Amino acid sequence: MKQILLITDGCSNVGLSPVVAAAHAKSEGINVNVVGVLDQGDVGELGASEIEEIARAGGGLSRMVNMRQLSQTVQMMTRKTVVQTIQLAVQKELKQVLGNGSIEALPPEKRGEVVRVIDELGETSGLKVALLIDASASMKPKLAAVEEAIRDLMLSLQARQGKSEISVFHFPGSRHGDDCVMDLAWTSHLNGVQSIFPKLQMAGTTPTGPAIMQVVDYYRQGQNDMSDYSRRARNETDGMMGDYVV
Amino acid sequence: MTTSFKLELRRGSVVVGKWRMGRYRIERLLGEGANGKVYLVQRDRDWLAMKIGADTVDLQSEINVLKSLDKQRSLETFLYDVDDLYGPDGREYPFYIMRYVRGTTLASYLKQQGPEWFPLVALNLLGKLAKLHKAGWVFGDLKVENVMVADYGHVELVDYGGVTAKGKSVRQFTEIYDRGYWNGGSRSADPGYDLFSFAVLCIQLHEPKRLHALTKELLPQNRSTSELMEIADNCPGLKPVSGWLKRALMGEFADAAEGAEAWRALMHRRVTRNSPGMPGWLKGLAATSGLLLAASMGWLLLDLFL
Repeated sequence: MKQILLITDGCSNVGLSPVVAAAHAKSEGINVNVVGVLDQGDVGELGASEIEEIARAGGGLSRMVNMRQLSQTVQMMTRKTVVQTIQLAVQKELKQVLGNGSIEALPPEKRGEVVRVIDELGETSGLKVALLIDASASMKPKLAAVEEAIRDLMLSLQARQGKSEISVFHFPGSRHGDDCVMDLAWTSHLNGVQSIFPKLQMAGTTPTGPAIMQVVDYYRQGQNDMSDYSRRARNETDGMMGDYVV
Repeated sequence: MTTSFKLELRRGSVVVGKWRMGRYRIERLLGEGANGKVYLVQRDRDWLAMKIGADTVDLQSEINVLKSLDKQRSLETFLYDVDDLYGPDGREYPFYIMRYVRGTTLASYLKQQGPEWFPLVALNLLGKLAKLHKAGWVFGDLKVENVMVADYGHVELVDYGGVTAKGKSVRQFTEIYDRGYWNGGSRSADPGYDLFSFAVLCIQLHEPKRLHALTKELLPQNRSTSELMEIADNCPGLKPVSGWLKRALMGEFADAAEGAEAWRALMHRRVTRNSPGMPGWLKGLAATSGLLLAASMGWLLLDLFL
């Protein structure tokens, strides 16, 4: 299971629309969740509707929260999305077997076993969450809470039985041409990580869309490594077969 | 995260199950949890509790837990009915019917009946947890709001949404009761997780303001079990059990049965020793024991009732 969790406090203002980028992510099998963090006021109507739409396009959830609720929200969203991802997959199977797609349509006494399977898979399946943090100037006072939420999420994921990894990115990048910067590559623990965002340069633009695309690329690279590996393996087998076939 | 759940059922309205046609008259709202609402309902002459969920899969996994508990308990049935209902908004909502637990919340019980009930109620609560642990479960979301107390300190746990099989990740928890939040260990379901929450619950009952203040003033990386211990050490009401609390916070008890045993032994020793620094509620216990002639006899009798 693959997720991107975007934490932001406002509107994107540069480059590709984040809604389009989120739809790209979804087509790659990555769910996009969005948390909008509020100051005293709110993120503004424009920001709020963008946040909601990014999540909808990315097949994920969106929430507006204040800093105090951030850890809990991030943790619950990730968990909920895991269940929903598995539920969708199981419902697809149900569709083929029963000719109807929803668990709600089953009589209550038949739901138990299906949900038991969903729970089991949700607990044991591998999970990758890429956290994408808006580090534009207005986010600066919130980064400590964001870091705390990331550590808290790692703690929850470590309790799962399945393999769980996170990676962390922030945007915009400090150099020109970088839409986002990786702070932490895939890892399943934060032992020894003193600070996730050391001396961050806060820049003014908010290229949310391009940043999402870059994270999707990062996911794809991981896959490419895998497929390179399997291609190589296949070639080797082919070679061996060739010797035998002639 | 419950903002999407807006269902409201009016007092006196009758709900009919979609599949099994059970008829329930709504009496009043008993409580709202993380993933649903609980109403007091009447069926024929019986008072029952109806939990309505916002999400079918969520509620069903709670039902699965209750079902396996029912199997293990053999005597007291928990789950009476499982069905869907049509809300006033035309949407379908899943629900289940369970036993109605008469009683008040832990905090208000102690306020009404007096703090001398605390050691016994706490012991009964440990007994409840011990049963769960023995059956392979961890309660998970243990907090003041999820403990109901009836007459004479009889304890019932409510809201099984956090109940998790041992070894899995805790399904639902509340930050200040959470072992991970205090940097005191993992969020994996093991009996020690519940005992940690139990210790926080004891502190919450005696020093709610100081505990709340601590969550506000400490930086996340500075939250620790020793901060919790400091509150307990400086609270006269908790002094007699501060050693026990420390062991619970450090994860030294194998399960709630062992914790209950130590708790009981602690009460026993304090009462018989009759130490001058004994707080009010222990004196009350000593007096009770005195009425039963020998203090140790009293505890033996009490053991029989537990």
